[in-house]
Amino acid sequence: MTAITESAVTQRRGVGGWRWAGRIFLALLLGFTVMPMIWMVITSLKTGFAAMQYPPQWWPAEPTLGNYWRLLDPNGSVGQDFLHYFWNSLWVSTITTILAVAVAVPAAYAFSRFRFPGRNFLFFAVLLRNMFPAVVFLVPLFILMKLLGLVNTHGSLILTYLTFGLPLAIWLLKGFYDNIPVQLEQAARIDGATRFQAFLLIVMPLSTPGIIATSIYSFIGAWNEYIYAYTFLTRHDQMTLPVGIQRFFSENATDWPGLMAATFLMSIPVVVLFLVLQRYFVRALTEGAVKH
Amino acid sequence: MSSVQGQAIFRDVPEPPPRRVGLGTKVWNSRFDYLYVAPAILVMLIVIAYPIYYTIELSFFNTPASLSLADKKFNGLDNYAAIIQSPVFWKVTWQTVVWTVLSTGFSFVLGLGAALALHREFAGRALLRGLLLIPWVVSAVAASYVWKWLYHSDFGAISAILTAIGIIKEPINFIDNASTSLYSLIVVNVWKEFSFAMIMLMAGLQTVPDTLLRAAQVDGASPWQRFWHVTFPHLQGVSTVTILLLVVQNFNSFIIPFIMTGGGPVGSTQIWITHIYELAFLRQRWGVGAAYAVLLFLIMMTLGYFYVRALTKGDDSRAGA
Repeated sequence: MTAITESAVTQRRGVGGWRWAGRIFLALLLGFTVMPMIWMVITSLKTGFAAMQYPPQWWPAEPTLGNYWRLLDPNGSVGQDFLHYFWNSLWVSTITTILAVAVAVPAAYAFSRFRFPGRNFLFFAVLLRNMFPAVVFLVPLFILMKLLGLVNTHGSLILTYLTFGLPLAIWLLKGFYDNIPVQLEQAARIDGATRFQAFLLIVMPLSTPGIIATSIYSFIGAWNEYIYAYTFLTRHDQMTLPVGIQRFFSENATDWPGLMAATFLMSIPVVVLFLVLQRYFVRALTEGAVKH
Repeated sequence: MSSVQGQAIFRDVPEPPPRRVGLGTKVWNSRFDYLYVAPAILVMLIVIAYPIYYTIELSFFNTPASLSLADKKFNGLDNYAAIIQSPVFWKVTWQTVVWTVLSTGFSFVLGLGAALALHREFAGRALLRGLLLIPWVVSAVAASYVWKWLYHSDFGAISAILTAIGIIKEPINFIDNASTSLYSLIVVNVWKEFSFAMIMLMAGLQTVPDTLLRAAQVDGASPWQRFWHVTFPHLQGVSTVTILLLVVQNFNSFIIPFIMTGGGPVGSTQIWITHIYELAFLRQRWGVGAAYAVLLFLIMMTLGYFYVRALTKGDDSRAGA
């Protein structure tokens, strides 16, 4: 019935114009969005000489995967470094994500369900962390890491990234828990479960989408982070991808195709991860953002 | 709620008799609750409270480059006075405002348009949404390098396209030119951010009751009228949160200006954050940098207050597990 009503009404009202405007707008927006990424890939397939032409070759006359092979070749020095950076990034991002979820889930649950003195203040403080720019904390954090003996270790990054990810993770998960009806836990309580059992056995399984979304966000945030990695890690073998890449290409003449290949490789994991799991992420973000 | 007899079974601690409960008792009653938040709070305390304290302290000291930090000399509010009186401060502030307002504005408008256009179900919608989200997911570092290449004064593709269409004759110097650099960077920032606004607004759009829209349609409202009188009012909550988040993010964005132009040319792309970085790390003027940071804190606290207020509306109805 709704289909009939809608098409009958829209035919009368002539929504056609807006519909087409929407389509053209989306097409343009898609072009704007995707164009840089496409150009990144095209450039990465060129040799250095081919890239430095103006007007540029819209498609390389001799496309080559040489840039990629160089980056991924464990025998060459470039490849060794690149793979090492890749592994560092993977390690830091994964550990950060696991810890972030482990810490955020109980906290978000508590903020959602419990009312204890200081709750509002603490929640405010947690969210407030989001407000503060990364750069401002650089000096004191550097000094703190020195005190803790963590400079030039991955531990310093993990600890720092935890605090970046936590506020949003807690906020996301809290919004998620807000939308799980309290009645489910109350029913469990009536049946004799303690509050903790209700949390573990009823609520946790239901929060899988929220946890997936939080994990994605933590992982992507840690993977892409640059400022702290740049400041805390000066030892070459500790560096993560965003910093390491810079090292390759900032000398005299920037090797643009190589740089584009490296950024492409750097972006693949997060883009793939995101595209595959995007519906969890979108769902959790929107459920957190909107009050029902 | 707590006066209902049956509530006693929902607490691990027996319901105290109805009388004034002191703070100490309340804290004791909720002692297990704190366990849930303890790890999070602990991490935040170490990594945040100490740095904030140290930064505030540092802002009152004079830290000449020739001395190590341990030899700093107290100079009271001099750092703050120096800031307010310096013309660089006002220039950087203006640029920060331009950067924030334009980035937020365009990101929001593009995001709203995309959200509206994607609202209807159609084949390939999820894929399209995923593609539009790619800029947000890609690292700012990657984005900066790609756009730097696109904007390149000798080999940039954007100049090439514009030349091919016939709009310009010579390649444009996007980021090496002081008058266009900030706006070129803003384009990159909007490219990166708009899909965040899109996602938030798509969520908001889902709360607009369809029945209301249909009723308006039947009553003869044009699409524009429907948007303005039905959809838009429902979006206000989400819009507020989104705009606040965007403002904070833009005020604090570092990577794009830093990697693409490093604050140049001639300081035309210097915003507060990159300026603080330059002061503290490149010019070793820690005290002044810290003072700037404190000012930034204050602004952020104000924004943060509104942000939390917008977010926690309607929370108290959910208490009671």
